[in-house]
Amino acid sequence: MSKPAAPNVDFEYRYGFSMPQNYTFKARKGLDRDVVISISKMKNEPEWMTEYRLKAYDIFLKKPMPTWGGDLSRINFDEIYYYIKPVKEQAATWEDLPKEIKETYDRIGIPEAEKKYLAGVSAQYESEVVYESINKELDKLGVIFCDMDTALRKYPEIVKEYFGKLIPAHDNKFAALNSAVWSGGSFVYVPKGVHVTLPLQAYFRINAEKFGQFERTLIIAEPGSQVHYVEGCTAPIYTTDSLHSAVVEIYVKEDARVRYTTVQNWSKNVYNLVTKRAKAEARGFMEWIDCNIGSQLTMKYPSVYLMGEGARGEVLSIAFAGKDQVQDAGAKMLHFAPNTSSRIVSKSISKDGGRTSYRGLIQVFPGATNSNVYVSCDALILDEESRSDTYPYMKIKESDVSIQHEATVEKLGEEKLFYLMSRGLSKVDAEGLLVNGFIDPVAREIPLEYSIELNRLINLEMAGSVG
Amino acid sequence: MVEFIDLSKHNQEKLVFDKPGEYVVFMHNLSGSVTVELAAPRVEVDIYGLFTGKNADQFVINTTQHHTAPGSVSNLLIKGVFDDESKFNYQGLIRIEKSAQQSHAYQKNQNIILSSKTYVESKPFLEILANDVFCTHGSTTGKLSEDDLFYVESRGLDKEKAKDLLIQGFIDELYEKIKQKVPKFTPSDK
Repeated sequence: MSKPAAPNVDFEYRYGFSMPQNYTFKARKGLDRDVVISISKMKNEPEWMTEYRLKAYDIFLKKPMPTWGGDLSRINFDEIYYYIKPVKEQAATWEDLPKEIKETYDRIGIPEAEKKYLAGVSAQYESEVVYESINKELDKLGVIFCDMDTALRKYPEIVKEYFGKLIPAHDNKFAALNSAVWSGGSFVYVPKGVHVTLPLQAYFRINAEKFGQFERTLIIAEPGSQVHYVEGCTAPIYTTDSLHSAVVEIYVKEDARVRYTTVQNWSKNVYNLVTKRAKAEARGFMEWIDCNIGSQLTMKYPSVYLMGEGARGEVLSIAFAGKDQVQDAGAKMLHFAPNTSSRIVSKSISKDGGRTSYRGLIQVFPGATNSNVYVSCDALILDEESRSDTYPYMKIKESDVSIQHEATVEKLGEEKLFYLMSRGLSKVDAEGLLVNGFIDPVAREIPLEYSIELNRLINLEMAGSVG
Repeated sequence: MVEFIDLSKHNQEKLVFDKPGEYVVFMHNLSGSVTVELAAPRVEVDIYGLFTGKNADQFVINTTQHHTAPGSVSNLLIKGVFDDESKFNYQGLIRIEKSAQQSHAYQKNQNIILSSKTYVESKPFLEILANDVFCTHGSTTGKLSEDDLFYVESRGLDKEKAKDLLIQGFIDELYEKIKQKVPKFTPSDK
């Protein structure tokens, strides 16, 4: 008898198409000071930003590559296009966009979703945000939602106060690279006490080959405000490598609440190396919902610095690694103040030789009394070729705390399968049910339109059990 | 017959178990690294570690449960009680090779902190290259439970006695587990 086939949990990639490149401007391949300066000039930036970029570029050159995670040796920084301006001007309506760009978003379904469930939309194509809109009511309340370039022009004092303060250029090599060549991304400002009830959504699309997308996002939630930001990412399938390296900084002020949801579905030629960090002040609540399905290698560890008394941080994540994929994801929680609490729930699935790793840090500093930490990592390995790792670090410098960490690694339970099949379910359906049940605690936190998509993505149609 | 290995008496960096059987490994206040390889099927290894830190004690301990053969079980429990300015740095790895299907591996680290000047670092790692396995790890670090203390004090014990009793209970749990497998085991005094 041959071995039973692994469950056919496949993420059928629907977004692998590419469009013709009729661009306004494309920087030459590779990176040097001139490219950095030309990006800044093109954007008419204030001098301090040009300086900031150049300093970051020097730091980028000096910083070593990360030594953990996946294989980064194939990234050739000279073979990448760092800046592409797809259109001359941002469009006010979808109809104003060039045909091939509009068609891209239609196929992804953004304009549809905008009508139905969103308070604001931003669509980034290559380096620039080509379309953005915000609900008029929110506009009246003083909520700002625009791309970072516009923010730098229109609100220079706010940008200068917060930009690069949580994630300075010298944080790591890819944060430095982003700081040097950043373009696009979102700027969200929610005034005191304003609750944005519908999500704001940003959509990131890479179309060109050998391209680097470096969006830069800054979210500021003033005291007592609430906002939910959602980002989605896709790219065409090429045989050459592309690089996506974002920096996201979030300020959660007293009693504010920010939820940041990512559904990352890059094609398998994209390196996804992202730095995300939030700072939560007293009683602030930061939630990262992080869903990594695509890319060839993702290295991403969203963090929350719990700086104010009673601040809370949460990371809920799902990672899926199929053939030739490495998902090295995790979370960091740093407790600096009393009565802070954090919770991390990570679910990962590896299949067809894919590798998932949870890499996390919990650090409790002296004075963070009565702090509470809960970490739970579960991994499913669906076949013999795949691998799962767990690397949690816990550093505790305070006695008055409660720290819990647990992890399990297993295959789909034979007993559970047997039980479901004894109730009349086929093996395929039983496996599908178990996988969906496994990710459910996190999947149910994802906005409805994405969770339907996710369920559909986890296409459990068995190609007949080979065995 | 259970084979008992007390690393506190004979320190070894690497233990290879290549014959089926039951083994118990014990260490107390040991610094260094210990690799336990399960190199044959039907090997069952329990690894118990106790760390009691006082004053400026420092312990740096790495453990590896390395499964290279199928169908074996490893079970690790490390308990620590840290007072004063003691430091504890624990790194534990469970590594299951592709060749080690049907393995079970468990790893647990529980620490009690008695002083705010201690430093505890716990890094329970897993590297799982086989799919038909079951592995878990857990790590808890915290102070003595207020509820437990209150209960014992309400029975008439003073705070210090109550604390001692709870700590002794925490440690005895580990000793009892060893005694179940190795009846002749007698703990040395702390």
